[in-house]
Amino acid sequence: MTWLLETTGLTRRFAGLVAVDGVDLRVAQGGIHAVIGPNGAGKTTLFNLISGLIVPSAGTIRFAGTDVTRLPPDRRAALGMGRTFQNIRVFGAMTVLENVLTGLHARTAPDLLGTGLLGTGLLGTVLRLPRFRAAEREAVARARAALDLVGLGAQAETRAAALSYGDQRRLEIARAMAPEPRLLLLDEPAAGMNPAETAALGALVRRLGGLGTTILLVEHDMGFVMGISDAVTVLNFGRRILDGPPEAVRQSPVVIEAYLGQKVAARLAKSAP
Amino acid sequence: MMAVPPWLDDLLWTYQNLIHSLGINGLLALSMYVVLAVGQLSLGQAAFMGLGAYGSALLTLKLHWPFWVVLPASCVAPAMFALAVGVPTLRLSGVYLAIATIGLGEVLRAVYLNIDLFGGALGLSGIPARAETWMIYGLLAAAVIVLWLIGRSRIGRAMEAMREDETAAQVMGVDIRRYRMGALLASALLAGIAGALGAHVSSFIGPNEYGFQPAVTILSFALLGGIGTPLAPVLGAAVLTLLPEALRGFSDLRLVFNGVIIVLAVLFLPNGVFAWRMRRRAA
Repeated sequence: MTWLLETTGLTRRFAGLVAVDGVDLRVAQGGIHAVIGPNGAGKTTLFNLISGLIVPSAGTIRFAGTDVTRLPPDRRAALGMGRTFQNIRVFGAMTVLENVLTGLHARTAPDLLGTGLLGTGLLGTVLRLPRFRAAEREAVARARAALDLVGLGAQAETRAAALSYGDQRRLEIARAMAPEPRLLLLDEPAAGMNPAETAALGALVRRLGGLGTTILLVEHDMGFVMGISDAVTVLNFGRRILDGPPEAVRQSPVVIEAYLGQKVAARLAKSAP
Repeated sequence: MMAVPPWLDDLLWTYQNLIHSLGINGLLALSMYVVLAVGQLSLGQAAFMGLGAYGSALLTLKLHWPFWVVLPASCVAPAMFALAVGVPTLRLSGVYLAIATIGLGEVLRAVYLNIDLFGGALGLSGIPARAETWMIYGLLAAAVIVLWLIGRSRIGRAMEAMREDETAAQVMGVDIRRYRMGALLASALLAGIAGALGAHVSSFIGPNEYGFQPAVTILSFALLGGIGTPLAPVLGAAVLTLLPEALRGFSDLRLVFNGVIIVLAVLFLPNGVFAWRMRRRAA
């Protein structure tokens, strides 16, 4: 089987601390894959390694058949990797629609000067050539579709900073989804949301999974993860301690121990019938 | 040429220097704008301007090239120095570019002072006045329009995204190093042209016109005007160019007034006086 994303021995050290320690993660094409683990388990560091914001100390990352270990984030985006952030990072001064248009950056012209005289690069932009205008129109149509998908269609012209917290999260998802990435990384999408918002988000994530985008998510909220995931990887102290379907993970004593500590896990094991 | 009424002719003649400075400072303000627009800080605009001025003056005085060849050629040296400074510093984030460009300005000033070709402390004089008012304003208008069209496009969105959040911009697929380098090159070209035009309206150039103080003045054009649109820094430059003229009676206090205005603008109008923001799409 070929994996959409495969990390081998992925390691990242920060001074004395080993935040991610030899992680082998395999994400299959299609479906929703969750990475869980207690605070400080290395989940966000793992995401930053996969999306290229930090460089691994050791190990490799293969994405869609390419070794991306040394590629900068923008090249990974061009290969079809999108992500959201745990601490929201929308472009506050831009409108909602402009945010999503920016998310389509990798999908339009390939570089600053563009593809020859008739391209959508610098010359095409300044001369407003037909190819440029067509690309711009197509981008707006795609962006509007992405906004409709997350239910922000009516707020397209609102300044992003003026959106509520939950809507900013939705905007981040629309911005990451607009280019139809092969892999979407969601970094704690339910953080700071109330139960109703979390439920709505779960439905949205499931819908995104149905569109052909593979979803890898990091999450704290166990209920959220168990309800929507096809596969779960558990991290603790930077190591992968378990891999499997959600039901198996839920009952695993190793996981209970990681979350609740050895004593509680032992007590639970004793009291179990 | 069109017939100009005598009173207008007198006015233009009297204020010729000021009219030229307004246009040239507008170009310099744009040269600062393109760098600030991608979230970088460069203080090399005066140095690039000096390269354009000295380069073009030498081409005219020593090689007697026609002005229409000198003007584009004056961009070559600033572009080369922009690459030389940009390649090592733009990989890094933070103030490295600012520091390196200050250094560039001081090194070049020392070179102009100490090498005979550049006339030393006396500078170069007797440069023919070949830059016409219409050339200055034509280039300024062209630069504003081009930057406006770029601002309202995918490129403009990427630039604003970098300014707001470089990490997020990278994840969207923006090659931030390439954009930084492109912005610095554009900045060098604009400043180089401004320098060449300046040299060919004033007949004299000297090493101190391109030192640290003019670099800060150029920065203040963009700080006062803002960078919401390409027009904002040009208007900022106009205000700061006209102000010393209006305050001529206060002679020694003029620089103090300038300073106070900049401090007030930064404290109370962080987006500049002309803070409108342009739409970022063409369709």
